[in-house]
Amino acid sequence: MSVNLVKGVVKPILAGFGITARRLKHKKVTVMYPEQIREQYPRTRWRHFLTRYDSGLERCIGCSLCAGACPARCIYVEAKENTDTERYSPGERYAVRYEINMIRCIFCGYCQEACPTGAIVLRKNFELADYKREDFIYTKERLLEEYPGQSDEPFKGHYATEPAPVFQG
Amino acid sequence: MAAAVQIETVNITINDIEIAVPKGELIVEAVKRLGLEIPIFCYHPRMKPVGMCRMCIVEVGFKQPDGTVRKMPKPQAACTLPASEGMAVYTDTEMVHRDRKGVLEFLLINHPLDCPICDRGGECPLQNNTLFYGPSTSRYVELKRHAPKAFPLSKYVTLDLERCIQCGRCVRFTEEISGDSELAFRFRGANMQPSTFELRDFESKFSGNVIEICPVGALTSAKYRFRARPWDLETKPAVCTVCSNGCNVWFDYRVGKMVRINGRTNEGVNEEWTCDKGKFGHEFYNSEDRLLTPLVREGDQLVPTDWARVYSDVIRAFANGGDKVAALGGAANSNEDVFMLNRLMTGIFGTKNLDHRFERNLVTGVGEKLGVSEVQSTIASLEDAPSMLVFGTSLADELPIVFLRVRKAWFKNGAKVVVAHHAPTDADSFAEVILRYKEGTEAAVASGLLSLLVSAGKAQVPAATADAIKPFTPEHVEQLSGVPAEKLRVAAELLEGAPIITTRSMYNQASGVDALEALAGLAMVTNGKFNCYSLQANAEGATLLGTKEGMHTHQILNAAAAGELKALWLVNVDPFALYPDRELVQQALENVEFLAVQGTVASEAMHYASVVLPQCAPAEMDGTYTNVERRVQRMRPVLKPKGSTKPGWNIFSEIAVRLRPATPFFNPGEVMAEIAKENPAFEGATYDKLPAEGFVIR
Amino acid sequence: MAERKLLFEHTHDPAFRTLDGYKATGGYQALEKAIKMDRQAVIDEVKASGLRGRGGAGFPTWIKWNGIPKDKKTTHYVLCNADEGEPGTFKDKQLMETCPFLLVEGMTIAGHATNADQGFIYIRGEFIDAARALRSAIDEAYAAGLLGKNIMGTGWNFDLDIHLGAGSYECGEESALMSSLMGERGMPRLKFPHAPLPTVAGLWERPTLINNVETYCCAPFIIKNGGEWYASLGASTKNSRGTKIFSVSGHVNKPGNFEIEFGTPLKELLEMAGGVKGGKLKACVPGGSSVPIITAEDVDRAIIGYEEMSEVKSMVGSGGCMFLNEHTCIVTFIWRTALFYANESCGKCTPCREGTRWMLQILDRIRRGNGQKGDIELLKDICSQIDGRSFCGLGDAAAWPVAAALRVFPHEFEYFIENGKSMVESEPTLAMAP
Repeated sequence: MSVNLVKGVVKPILAGFGITARRLKHKKVTVMYPEQIREQYPRTRWRHFLTRYDSGLERCIGCSLCAGACPARCIYVEAKENTDTERYSPGERYAVRYEINMIRCIFCGYCQEACPTGAIVLRKNFELADYKREDFIYTKERLLEEYPGQSDEPFKGHYATEPAPVFQG
Repeated sequence: MAAAVQIETVNITINDIEIAVPKGELIVEAVKRLGLEIPIFCYHPRMKPVGMCRMCIVEVGFKQPDGTVRKMPKPQAACTLPASEGMAVYTDTEMVHRDRKGVLEFLLINHPLDCPICDRGGECPLQNNTLFYGPSTSRYVELKRHAPKAFPLSKYVTLDLERCIQCGRCVRFTEEISGDSELAFRFRGANMQPSTFELRDFESKFSGNVIEICPVGALTSAKYRFRARPWDLETKPAVCTVCSNGCNVWFDYRVGKMVRINGRTNEGVNEEWTCDKGKFGHEFYNSEDRLLTPLVREGDQLVPTDWARVYSDVIRAFANGGDKVAALGGAANSNEDVFMLNRLMTGIFGTKNLDHRFERNLVTGVGEKLGVSEVQSTIASLEDAPSMLVFGTSLADELPIVFLRVRKAWFKNGAKVVVAHHAPTDADSFAEVILRYKEGTEAAVASGLLSLLVSAGKAQVPAATADAIKPFTPEHVEQLSGVPAEKLRVAAELLEGAPIITTRSMYNQASGVDALEALAGLAMVTNGKFNCYSLQANAEGATLLGTKEGMHTHQILNAAAAGELKALWLVNVDPFALYPDRELVQQALENVEFLAVQGTVASEAMHYASVVLPQCAPAEMDGTYTNVERRVQRMRPVLKPKGSTKPGWNIFSEIAVRLRPATPFFNPGEVMAEIAKENPAFEGATYDKLPAEGFVIR
Repeated sequence: MAERKLLFEHTHDPAFRTLDGYKATGGYQALEKAIKMDRQAVIDEVKASGLRGRGGAGFPTWIKWNGIPKDKKTTHYVLCNADEGEPGTFKDKQLMETCPFLLVEGMTIAGHATNADQGFIYIRGEFIDAARALRSAIDEAYAAGLLGKNIMGTGWNFDLDIHLGAGSYECGEESALMSSLMGERGMPRLKFPHAPLPTVAGLWERPTLINNVETYCCAPFIIKNGGEWYASLGASTKNSRGTKIFSVSGHVNKPGNFEIEFGTPLKELLEMAGGVKGGKLKACVPGGSSVPIITAEDVDRAIIGYEEMSEVKSMVGSGGCMFLNEHTCIVTFIWRTALFYANESCGKCTPCREGTRWMLQILDRIRRGNGQKGDIELLKDICSQIDGRSFCGLGDAAAWPVAAALRVFPHEFEYFIENGKSMVESEPTLAMAP
C-alpha cells in the first residue's frame, strides 16, 4: 500500500521537482520585454521602410510594382513627375502618395522582392500595435522614417550597394 | 451587301498542316486561322505592311512536284509575304526561334529598360514578346544610345526617343490613316528617330492614336503620364459621348477616377481609332466644377439642398403649366432620358414646348419637308463608295471618325471625293475637286450642281424645281460664289451614286436650308444618299424620340425673353455655347420666372437658375445613345454616380411619380422596353436584344 | 592574259566625249542597228551574250530585259544605277566621265528593247564631273535627234534625264534608289516575293528596268558585234562572259581601273596594277568592301569569274579590288569597314540598324585595346543574326566582311584582344579617320 503511495505519488513529484532543479542551472530564455528586446532572426520581415540614397533622394520611383506584387492588395501608390525645382528621387518619377494598410499586410515581403530600386524594405521593427484603425495606414511620411532598431542591418540587395545614380537631366 | 464574291484560294501548309487561304493573304494573318501567333512589332492590320522590325521572321519553302519542300535560303518576314500556291511556312523551327531571339536582342540593346517608370510597362508588346521569345540576358556591354527623355511632341503626346524601336507605326499612321503626315523619320542608321518636321508641335486631330499603336513606351500620353500602372486600372467598355460619332472606347479608371480613354474595335463605327477630342475630352469626369448636390436659389446664392426640395419646386413651377412652360436640350442625354423627359413634359405637365436644336435656321427639317431620311448612309458604307460629296463642313473637326472613313475610301479604294466648303479643310488634301465658295453662297453651289445634272438630262425633277434651279448655270454660280464653272462641271460628273455628306451646322448658314434642299434633290437625281449628320451625342435619338409639335427653340427663347413663359427647364445644355444669339439667351433666362438647370458641370446658365438638378455623367449611368448613323449603342455604368447626382431618366421619372402615382421604371432597360413599344424602330435596341456592336435603326 | 580594253578602248581620248568623236569610233552604229531590229531580237542578242549584271549581284541581264511586259499598257521606265557607293569601286565614275555616250547609247538600246518612254540616270551626288559629262552628252544626243521625240525617224520617243543623289550608300540599292528617285526617304522597298518585281511594278508602280552603268555600257558592243561574239570573251569560265572593269586600289604600285576578260587569274590583275607596294601581299578584298576577304594564298589560285570566285569563298561583286600588304592590321581594316556600314545603314530594319552599330562598338573596343574574351564569338553571332535577316542587302554586306575576316584571320583578332595591340606594325595610311 505505502509502496504504491510512494511509487504513485511521491516519486513522480520528486521526479518533477528534479527536472525543475536540473533546469535551474540552465541559462534563462525569457527576456524582460519591453525593457529587453530579443535578437531577431536575420531574415525577419516586419515593418516596412522606404529608404533613401546617401544623397538624401528617395529610392522609390513610384512604379507601383510593389502594389502589383502584393497578394493582400494593401499598397497604394500614386506617382508624379519630378521637376528640377522639386526633386524627390533621381529620374523622372517619384511617389507622391505611398500607403500601406498594415492591417491587411501579411508580411510576405513580395513588395521588397518586386522593388527594382530597393526602396521598400521590411525591417525588424515588429512593434506595430496601435489604438486606432486609421493609424494602421502607414503613409509615405511614416514609411520614410529612419529605422530605429538597434541592429540596423542595411538592405543588401543589388541596388542598395550601388551609389545613387546622378541625375543628368 | 454585295453578293458573295468568289475568293480565289491557295493551298499552303503551315507547320505541315494543310490549309486553304485566300490568295495573297499575308502569312502573318494566315497563321491566325490555325490559332497560331507570330510575334510582331511594326505590322498593323490596318496599315500597309513594311517588314521593318523583322520580328515576324519565318522559314518559308515551296512544295516541289515530287512532294518535297525546298526551303528558301533566307528566312522571310511573314508580315509582308503573300500566300501563294504550294507555300510551306514554318513558324516553330529552331532557326525561327533563334532569329526571334536575335531580333529581340538587337531591339533591347539600345532600349533603356526603364520599364518600372514607363507608362507602357505592363501592357507593352516589347515586354511581352521578350518574355515569350526573347533572350533572358543581354550580351551588350557597350554604351547605350541616349536621347532626351520625355520630349513634349504636343500637349497630348510625349516622345521618349530612347525607348523607340523605330517600327514606324506612328509615321505610317500619320501618312496612311490620319493623312496629316505630321511625323517622319529623321537621320539614318542607329540614329534614326521619328519626329515632327523641324520639331514643331505634333498638330493632328488624331494624335492620340499613335500612343495606342506604339509597341513600346516611346509615345506616351501627356495626360495619362504617371497616373497609373496597367495593373492599377479597371477597364470597361464604353461609348464616347463627346460628339455624335459614338466611338467605342475603353474607359480606364482607378479608384473611381477616370484616367484614360482607349479606342475599342467596332468595325461599323470607329474601327479602332479615336479622335483627340474624344480621347482627351473626358476630363469633366474629374472636374472641380462637377455638380454634386441639388442647389436652390436663396437670394443671390445657390445653396445646397436635397432632392425633395428641388422636386417640389420644379413641380410647383411646371405642373399644369400648359403652354407657359418649356424645356430645352437633351441632345447630350441618353435615349432613355430623352424619352422620359418627353413623357414628363407632354404627359404630365401637358406641354409640347420641347426642343433640342439650337441652329440658326429652324424651319421644318429638310428631310421632313421632302419626305426623305436625313441619314441614309452608315459610316462603314462610305468606305465602298466610288465617289463622295462632302458639302459645307470641315469634316475632321465636326465628325472626325467619319472623316477617317472618307479618307480611307480614298486611300484604300481610290474614291473620288468632292469637297465643297467656304474655308480650307483637312479633306482638301485628298479631294479630287475642291469647290471653294464664298461664305453664304452654299445654296448657289448646291443648286448649280443640281442644275448641271438636270440640264444634262441625267435626271428628271418636278417642273417647279426645274424652274427654280434653271438660273443656276455654272457661269452664274461662278459669279455668285466664285467657284470656277469648269470645276463645278468636273464635280457634277463625279456625283453619280455618290453619298452626300453634310452636317447640321449647315442650318447655321444663311442659305443653308436652301442648300440642303438642293443637296437632298441632288441625292435623289443621282441615286446618291443624302446625309445631314447631327453633331451631338444623342441628337439623332432626341430627334427620333422627341416631339415635333409645340414651340421650337426660337419661339421658346423669344417667349421667355418677353416674359411669357412661367418656367423653363434646361436639360444638360448650355444655350450660351450653342445658340447663335447670346443676347436673346440672356434675356430669356433673366425674364423667365422659374429656371431649372439640369447638368453635369457648372455652366453659365446656372447664374440665372432657380434650382439646379445635378445629373450624373454618361459613364456613371446605364443608357443607350443613338449616333450619327442612327446606331443605338449601350453605355453601361462604368463609375459610381458622384455625390448625390442622379441619371436623367430617374429625375424625370421621380417627378412624374410625385404627380401621378404609378409604378415607376426601375431601370433604363424597362424604359427602353417602353420606348420600343411606342416606337417600333427601336425594337432591336431593347437591352436583351441589343448586340455588342449596336443596332442601326433604318 | 593582258588587259582587254573594250569599254575603255577610247577612255583616254578626249574626243570620245563628244558626239562626233564618239561616232568617229563607230558610236551609235549599235543603236542604228538595234532600232531596226525587232525588240525581242535585241533581247535575244543580249541573252546570247551571256551578259550578267555588273553592279555586284551578277543577275543575268536579259531576264530583266525580257521581264518588262511586252504589251505596253502604261509608261515604261529605264533606270540606270549610277550611285556607285561601294568602297573600293570607281569604275562607273570613269566610265561616265570619259565614255558618257556609251551609257547614253546603251540606255537608248535598252529603252528600245523594253519599249520605254523615259530613262533616268541616278548618279551619286558626289560625282559632279560625271554628271556634267553626261549632261553634255545627253544634250548633244538630244540635239542630234538621238534622244527625245521621234528617234532616228522611227516615231519612238525616249527621254533621258539625270538625277543626283544626296549622298547615301543605301540609295545604290535598287529599290531604295527608286524610293529616292520618287522623292521618298531613301529606304528599300518590299521585293519579290513580298511584292512584284520592278519589271512589273517599279518606279511609280510601273514597269521599270534597272541596271548598272557598266551593264548598259556593254549593250552597244553586244548589238554591234553580236551576242555570240561577246560570249566568246571570257569563254574559259563557267558562266561569266565578256569583260569586267576592276578598280584596283590599296597597296599596289599602279592603282586604277583595269578592264579584263573573265577567266583572268586574280594574280594577273595584281601584276597589271604593278604588284604589291611596301611588302608582301597579305590579303585581298576582290569585289568591293562588302565581299569576303581572302588570303594571299587564295589570291594565287583565284580565277576571276562569278562562279570561280566562290571557290575561294568570295565574289566578283562590283569589282572594287583592294590589295593589302603584310603591314596591314586586319582588325583596323575591318573596323573601318564596319564604321562605313554603321554610318550608311538606313535604319529601316532592326538587324542592320542595331547590329551594325553593335559590331562597330565591339570592334572599336577591341581596337582601343579593351577587347574581351568571347568578343569573337559574339561578333560571329551578330554576323549570323544580321546575314539574311535584314530587309535588304546592306545588312548582308555589313556582315560578310566581318564574318570572313573572323574566319580567315582569327589569330589577328585573338592577338589584339589578348594583348590590346595589333599583331602588325600598322601603316598609318590605312588607319583612315572616319
